[in-house]
Amino acid sequence: MSKNININVKHMTRIEGHGNIVVNASEGKVEKVEWQVPEAPRFFEAMVRGRKYDDIQTIVSRICGICSISHSLVAIKAVEDAMSIKVSEQTDKLRLLMHFSEQLQSHVLHVGYLVAPDLFGAPSVVPLVGVAPDAVKTIIGVHRVANQMSEILAGRVTHPITVIPGGFSKVPEEAQLRQLQDLLKAQVEPLLAIVDVVLSVAAGLPAFERDTEYVSLKRDGDYTFYHGDIASSDGPVKPVNEWESVANEHVVAQSTAKWAKWNRKSYMAGALARFNNNAEHLSPLGKAVADKFGLVKGCCNPFMNNVAQLAEAAHVVEKSIELIDELLADGVKPEEVKVTPKAGKGYAAVEAPRGILFHHYEFNKDGICQGANLCIPTNQNHANIQLDFEAFVPQFMDQGEDRLRQGLEMLVRAYDPCVSCSTHFLDVQFV
Amino acid sequence: MINKTVVLALGNPLMCDEGIAIEIVEALTADAGLLEGVDFIDAGCGGMTLLHYFEERDKAIIIDCAFMETEPGTIKRFVPDDVTSVKKLSHHSLHEVDILNVIKLADQMGSCPGEIVFYGIEPKSVEQQQNLTDLLQGKLGEYVEIIKQELVS
Repeated sequence: MSKNININVKHMTRIEGHGNIVVNASEGKVEKVEWQVPEAPRFFEAMVRGRKYDDIQTIVSRICGICSISHSLVAIKAVEDAMSIKVSEQTDKLRLLMHFSEQLQSHVLHVGYLVAPDLFGAPSVVPLVGVAPDAVKTIIGVHRVANQMSEILAGRVTHPITVIPGGFSKVPEEAQLRQLQDLLKAQVEPLLAIVDVVLSVAAGLPAFERDTEYVSLKRDGDYTFYHGDIASSDGPVKPVNEWESVANEHVVAQSTAKWAKWNRKSYMAGALARFNNNAEHLSPLGKAVADKFGLVKGCCNPFMNNVAQLAEAAHVVEKSIELIDELLADGVKPEEVKVTPKAGKGYAAVEAPRGILFHHYEFNKDGICQGANLCIPTNQNHANIQLDFEAFVPQFMDQGEDRLRQGLEMLVRAYDPCVSCSTHFLDVQFV
Repeated sequence: MINKTVVLALGNPLMCDEGIAIEIVEALTADAGLLEGVDFIDAGCGGMTLLHYFEERDKAIIIDCAFMETEPGTIKRFVPDDVTSVKKLSHHSLHEVDILNVIKLADQMGSCPGEIVFYGIEPKSVEQQQNLTDLLQGKLGEYVEIIKQELVS
């Protein structure tokens, strides 16, 4: 047993920020445990000020390359709230289908490319190909279909271009939806194969529990990603236009990202939060996946967020197939949208893959944005990661520094934080 | 039907010179004569999605703002074997991607184009701003010509 521990995982420059993990222990006594986020502020709220209401979604979709659909959809909902625009049932269903495509994309990628390497003891997905080539091929195959789905609905894979206030600039053709439905039906088997692969190594998920408040959207009879009110697993429910008093964003010394709290010192957003608040409304396939792992409502092991993501991946495939049936039964037609801008405030929330996402905008009578406030799920999770760390370290510190560090890194990965994806893919040295 | 050559623009137009590749691809797609046989994709910050843009291609041209330790505004052509990545990844999140790793993965899966060419452009500034710096804006036409030459060669 190691009595002295000194973990200092630093990965970033200020531009390419990610979190730092700092743990110090001396003579078996924990002196410091910190999840630090030294991310540079990104000022998107200032960027949209002075822009027209119908430009907002295009701008904010560039906040994130992984959750660009969620940012587009929440922005458009907030704009429509401010302008009192009601959308048709067809628009609502098509947007939901688009939203499902992003959940599928993101969850499959997260479990396949980030979590699976941990469980197989590989440093990343590239060496994982050598260990489990068929699994990687299957993951890539399902991811490809999720991308095709986004492309059909959003006009391209990332950063949607079909979403406009009041509706769509272009709706998919019925033939495309039929083709998509066939593709989705063909994903059930590969998705279950991925589930079985993860299940075979799930014993590697640490048995760690901490009583936690979970916050997500909630709507009667629905495992909702897109509609409804904001609910806490502790009981309180608030309408979406009160989101600022749910997130209660505040500043702390160890992080340049703001933290959030509602009924306790912290809460968790994400797949596990949605599951804990809405599990009874999962589709049969989603429930079957959760059952395989023994995931039950009330679970407070943050590592099980990855399992909840798999259950949700199955759920959205099944629900998308149903949704396409409904759309085709009604017939998909282009709809003309006329919007007259007006002054007002708009609030909206959607569930991004990694948790509830809030936007708020204010417009003048010409529809020019006067102010904005955006609150991403990762910021809502930082305080909870810190409290998880504080509980995790004493419990696992006798496993030694290396295993403790790996455990803490896996814990951060379980949340799949969205810290910054704005900057350079290429940082190279010539050889 | 997929075209055998793809031009991929990486970057974020909300981050000043980080959006240079998107500007180049927009200028190229405005030139309809060039479209035949080539797909132009504004891949933004799509992360691992890049993997799927490589499938069934003979050639991929990747344009990105790159830190290469050269003068701001420099455009440099190179191939993956010419460089090593000095990007530090924490593997904490899907939001960090190293394009050279994506190429490695594509290679291992047998879906890598036979030819991959990079055009790196050294930024003057990467910060929250929606326009390019004057320096890169002034050189946009030059960059577009260079990519056109690559496509007709």
